[in-house]
Amino acid sequence: MSSVILAVDDSASMRQMVRFTLESAGYEVIQAADGVEALDYAKGGKADLVLTDVNMPRMDGLTLVRELRGLSSYKGIPILVLTTEAGQETKAQGKQAGATGWIVKSFNPEQLLATIQRVL
Amino acid sequence: MQMPQTDNSSRNGAPVPAANWSPQQQTARMLALCEAQMEAATQDSDAAVDTLVAAFTELMNAVRDLGNMSKANATDPTQSKALDDINNRCNQLSSQVAAAVMAFQFYDKLSQRLGHVRYSLSTMALFICDRSNSQRPEHWEKLLSTLGRLYRTAEEREIFDSIAGSLSLRVDNSEEPLSKEMSDAGSIELF
Repeated sequence: MSSVILAVDDSASMRQMVRFTLESAGYEVIQAADGVEALDYAKGGKADLVLTDVNMPRMDGLTLVRELRGLSSYKGIPILVLTTEAGQETKAQGKQAGATGWIVKSFNPEQLLATIQRVL
Repeated sequence: MQMPQTDNSSRNGAPVPAANWSPQQQTARMLALCEAQMEAATQDSDAAVDTLVAAFTELMNAVRDLGNMSKANATDPTQSKALDDINNRCNQLSSQVAAAVMAFQFYDKLSQRLGHVRYSLSTMALFICDRSNSQRPEHWEKLLSTLGRLYRTAEEREIFDSIAGSLSLRVDNSEEPLSKEMSDAGSIELF
């Protein structure tokens, strides 16, 4: 059975690019447009990995990471942040929130897949 | 015959400013116009790019299916040449996918950067309408600092750092520009 990845981004075109890349590699992709939507899914559904943007309306990515780490079923799963944010300070906040890794956009599909394989 | 004078023109035909006219108000309106134009352009582009990306992914999915079909039928000796050609062509197209996926992401960055500029313009418009601000250098300094926090990508930061120095009142430039400690696009760090 293929691993399920929850991809969270407020940009429809970014979600499409991420979905295309991951589905091409055989993953099942659940999409969410912001942190609230992602958290709603996470409370009732399982994912093997979460890939989230940072700047989103309603609930940002770092808050989402904190909220997910508070759910027993998401305590141990890898959460990768995929963002244009490149500063060390924000990255440190992500690490403190419980993120597993930090990827600065624009992502290279092969590198993204290699990173996902490594943390799954 | 003498024309009756309206609210908006003087005796000699030149426009008469409204009672609340001021250079600050006019500048704010001009900034609002720029912001509105950028917002409209971004919204139009969003829809077009979403369509383009959806078409691209459909196309590449079709290429992948075609490649799989040709591989599945590769044992048929009557069609082997044609199937080989199809397969090779599909592989060539697939090798271009990574470059296309990366190129499409630049639009996302662009719209984010334009969003920051739009926010800067509207903040600036509000700022200059408050007359108590324009005469107080420390308020300009605070505005610069507020707007500076918006620019968090390495590219934005580089531009901000290169110009902010000439806008700032501070003469102490001992701090390293933030862009120096920023990661490049595509960098990956596992914690």
